Amino acid sequence: MDPLLEVAHLRVRFKTKSAVKALIEKDDDPYIDGVMGVSFAIEPGQTYGLVGESGSGKTTVARAVMGLLPVHSGAIRFNGKNLVGLSRDRIKPFRRDIALMFQDPAGSLSPRLKIRSILAEPFRIHDMMPENLSVEIARLLKMVNLSPSMGDLYPHQLSGGQARRVGVARALALSPKLIIADEPTAGLDVSVQGEILNLMARLQHDMGLSFLIITHNLAVVRHVSDHVAIMYLGRFLEQGPTQRVFHQMRHPYTQALLSAHASPDPDAVHHRISISGEIPGLVSRPRGCEFHTRCPRVQEKCRRQFPDKAETGKDHQYYCHYPLSVPEN
Amino acid sequence: MAEPVLDIRNLSVNYFTPRGTVQALRRINLQVPSAKVVGLVGESGCGKSTLISAVIRLMAENARVAAGEIRFLGKDMHHLSPRDLQGIRGRHMSMVFQDPMTALNPVFTIGRQMKDIQYRDAVSGKEKLKRAADMLSLVGIPDAVSRLDNYPHHFSGGMRQRITIAMALLVQPKLLIADEPTTALDATLEVQIIRLLKDLQADFQCAILFISHHLNVIAELCDFVGVMYAGELVEKGSVRDIFHRPGHPYTKALLECDPSVIAEPTRFLPTIPGEIPSLIDLPEGCIFHDRCPRAAQVCQKTPPPEVSLAAHHTAACHCLEV
Repeated sequence: MDPLLEVAHLRVRFKTKSAVKALIEKDDDPYIDGVMGVSFAIEPGQTYGLVGESGSGKTTVARAVMGLLPVHSGAIRFNGKNLVGLSRDRIKPFRRDIALMFQDPAGSLSPRLKIRSILAEPFRIHDMMPENLSVEIARLLKMVNLSPSMGDLYPHQLSGGQARRVGVARALALSPKLIIADEPTAGLDVSVQGEILNLMARLQHDMGLSFLIITHNLAVVRHVSDHVAIMYLGRFLEQGPTQRVFHQMRHPYTQALLSAHASPDPDAVHHRISISGEIPGLVSRPRGCEFHTRCPRVQEKCRRQFPDKAETGKDHQYYCHYPLSVPEN
Repeated sequence: MAEPVLDIRNLSVNYFTPRGTVQALRRINLQVPSAKVVGLVGESGCGKSTLISAVIRLMAENARVAAGEIRFLGKDMHHLSPRDLQGIRGRHMSMVFQDPMTALNPVFTIGRQMKDIQYRDAVSGKEKLKRAADMLSLVGIPDAVSRLDNYPHHFSGGMRQRITIAMALLVQPKLLIADEPTTALDATLEVQIIRLLKDLQADFQCAILFISHHLNVIAELCDFVGVMYAGELVEKGSVRDIFHRPGHPYTKALLECDPSVIAEPTRFLPTIPGEIPSLIDLPEGCIFHDRCPRAAQVCQKTPPPEVSLAAHHTAACHCLEV
């Protein structure tokens, strides 16, 4: 099947100083790299998980796909059409098909608008007012298991889980094909987290939606996504089918990330692969392989040179000079 | 057992609001033994934060202790003069807050802040700075002496949480209260902080009251666990009792919801249907009955008794499977 979204060698750079200042300080490269050439594809009806620590560039990828950030190079093809470099007017029709669920649900709902008006905004912006708006809004609320009377409430009257569902309803308003969900469960209690994920799974099943889920919660990604990419300082260090990445990981960072999760068993003996320290800033990007400053397997070569792409079987790729051996079975 | 550091007895706390009286905590009994880590787990709105604010006596204006008492080192926290209270807070009892980004004062250096909190000690400023530096290296901040001159914004989130822990332990408290100290951090940093707390607790021999909604963190760190729901402590016991032999249906449901314990990948995760009841109009009977899979007739009418399941392991439920 042709992919719905195909991102190829996407690179996003941020300016660190104005052109004048760069000239005065004779800095001929006043940029830092936010995303360093990532490639991935999402097929219709599938879920792609983007995992990484804060500052790894997950949200930057999402914003670039939405056309909310200038892309330095690379291609973002949606239904075969490259969105990079399109003008504001030309990109607008595609925005109907790609919806975004923001990270902070309460913060992304205007405190001065009632839920009903918030849900009417996508229609208004895209000049697609349905004939009977209140019926449409009731339908949206019902889809996310909220009662139509909630339309009369203000965002501050909702609980965290309800606000999250209004975010889902708003994303669904224009019947998109792809929903980008930025940390859809961050800050939710475990019992509510399940409700939101189940809701997303049901909508995906009923409407054939594709999802790009951004999260640092590996336990969630393992259940809900078909493919997953492990991101670090703007690169995908490892990507592939979820089961493969979780059970036959080759990159030491993937392994470290997986073992970093606290276990619900107080007697568990932890074979924890410790990584020390924190993710370095984009400004002080390490030379060579970016992960070498924290990697337990680091060797001289890693400090000098970024590894080439390696592939094992279908769709499973990683970048490492000294990958983990494949476990038996 | 020796006398506990913190002894909460039959504590009830109400908030007075225009819409009515919110009965935020009801009949809480909890002991924190000396040099042990006690975890409090529960979802948003269960009263964890209210309980801490009552313990440290930093309650909201509209909050009142309706019944019960909080004894810290044998003293009743709510019948202390402001002066005595000041002698306890920040001396024998200190706290690590949830958000390390806002817990430190942005306009003073770390060294200044760490020196200032030792205002009670009659030693030279130089000595205080030395203590501060030693403490910083203990919590894993490299090059501590020179970093004393840095401001909070020079440090990352994980580093700042290490600093707040260093500050809380600098006074060598008998009780450290940690309110969701890892929630704002990534998983890799979370385990680093947990390990740090565990090591330091062993060194300093202080008791820790650790609040979290993250079950796995509680499992790793704590000796005893209390499970809260809608203002009540529904179950308490040793960490093994709670995680291996949970009694209360709510504890069980909470443990089952955790996606990391479900081995087979699934798109449909377990949830706890329903919502927390209003704490203004409390339902009759058991507080959990309308969401409980085991609810019986009696649960709708009569509040459940506290049933002992093992030594130090109790659950408030009519329908325990014994």
